[in-house]
Amino acid sequence: MSEQVANAIELKDISVTFHNSDQAIEAVKHVDLQIKRGDIYGIIGYSGAGKSTLVRVINLLQKPTGGKVIVNHQEIQQLKPVELRQARKKVSMIFQHFNLMKSRTVQGNVEYPLLGTKISKRERREKAQRLLKLVGLSEYAETYPSRLSGGQKQRVAIARALASDPEILISDEATSALDPKTTKSILTLLKQLNQDLGLTIVLITHEMQVIKTICHNVAVMDAGEIIERGSVAKVFTEPQQKLTNDFVETSTNVKEAIERITSTIQISDFAANQELMYFNFIGNSTKQGVVSEFSQKYGVDVNILFANIDQIDGENVGYMIAIITGDLDVFNDAIEMLRPEGVKTRILTNETLQGGDGR
Amino acid sequence: MNAIMPNVMAMKGQFVQATWETIYMTLASAVISAVLGLLFGVLLVITQPGGILEDKVTYSVLDKVVNLLRSIPFIILLAVISPLTKFLVGTTVGTTASLVPLIFGIFPFYARQVQNALLDVDHGVIEAAESMGSSPTEIIFRIYLREGLADIIRVSIVTIISLIGLTTMAGAIGSGGLGDVAINIGYARFENDITFTAMIIILIMVFAVQLIGDWIVRRVERY
Repeated sequence: MSEQVANAIELKDISVTFHNSDQAIEAVKHVDLQIKRGDIYGIIGYSGAGKSTLVRVINLLQKPTGGKVIVNHQEIQQLKPVELRQARKKVSMIFQHFNLMKSRTVQGNVEYPLLGTKISKRERREKAQRLLKLVGLSEYAETYPSRLSGGQKQRVAIARALASDPEILISDEATSALDPKTTKSILTLLKQLNQDLGLTIVLITHEMQVIKTICHNVAVMDAGEIIERGSVAKVFTEPQQKLTNDFVETSTNVKEAIERITSTIQISDFAANQELMYFNFIGNSTKQGVVSEFSQKYGVDVNILFANIDQIDGENVGYMIAIITGDLDVFNDAIEMLRPEGVKTRILTNETLQGGDGR
Repeated sequence: MNAIMPNVMAMKGQFVQATWETIYMTLASAVISAVLGLLFGVLLVITQPGGILEDKVTYSVLDKVVNLLRSIPFIILLAVISPLTKFLVGTTVGTTASLVPLIFGIFPFYARQVQNALLDVDHGVIEAAESMGSSPTEIIFRIYLREGLADIIRVSIVTIISLIGLTTMAGAIGSGGLGDVAINIGYARFENDITFTAMIIILIMVFAVQLIGDWIVRRVERY
């Protein structure tokens, strides 16, 4: 029971199949998902993975072909249309392209969810003004959305989403059309709303950076299925799936670095006592002098070609690519012993690279 | 004046009356066609595949009715529809009788134009409204008709101008109005000044509609 209370959203065995001229496309395949109250839950995947379809099931903008949707303990597929609309007011949504009404002012847009409710006109105005102040756009109340920048439009959309006092906010690629700096400020705002209002946030994105910045938990989606899930720190420091690893390496520039290195260095030209090695340091191991210690102890040369340190959910994660020259057998065995302490290595050879490992 | 257009000066009173008849025919049929056209246009948009109240049967029926009515040449519609006119108005001649064919001639055209105007409303905004718990009625009035208002006014101008054209054709079956005067008097009696004057008055009406319409669009479209 207590576990049920804690879940804001529960999706059970959700499938969505589209029928497209005698062709059935399974956009979402038997997905189970629980999102806890007050969580910031990220869903990451490339476009076409089924993320948008999946989150639209939460407020039934997309009717699932199979499975159960439970939001705030209500099985929403059982609701009558009027009740469903009432339930939707508690699940707000923001979009990649903002979806503001061009014929209404900023103020009018924020007031929209309150039209047709019992709230008086004056209260409605005041509430909209309060929300605009919250998102930092008080002075734009009488402006039309067409005059705003992308980041400002998204702030208006967030204010509008908050007008109905939602418990859940779904963000559908809300920062994907924004530049990095604006993305950061929008994410900061979302984080603040999560903390101040206890808002549960479900966020879908194809950008690892977004997940790292604000999410606590993450699910990786591919071809309609969740292939990996868990806390952000765990999923992104110990990725089990290739796709997850791919996202990590892209966001840390490792992928780019490998491409750059292999375009200038031929691994096949290496001497017998040389190898190209990829290091991954997690947590405390980033603070130890692993490399310098090992190079002294085993008499190997470490020529660092690339190194980067990143923070994921408060934990340091280091990435390094280096050419090791020396007694490789001893070195490789020794460094393998450090795996429990958070040092992971991989020897990069032509086979592993072409095999798609560094894709 | 008498030297340039003797025939017009001889029937000034009739010209003034014909002008009023044209205005009456245009406005009366415009009001009723607007109601029917908006109704059909909105229904087409909401019942179409992917619409907010998707309904294949309704959509298909409405779509075919509009297409069928749009395909009948107006001059033939005038004749074909006369039994209905007789039933509704009691007579098939005169200004009021001409309203029936005018309405059937113009409302399907307007419905199609309204449909296109509403289809231009950003689908994302409709989705946002649905996600905010708006009912279909609220979406129609607060989103579709409001977001699409400037475009609806634009297509209304085009429609009224077409409608003025149709009223003159109704003159062929004795509806009264400027078309009637131009054809049954000016053309039939070879009194070219009458035909010409009727045309000028109609042109003035068309320009006036265009000017007023554009002004309203500018007022509405402040964003």
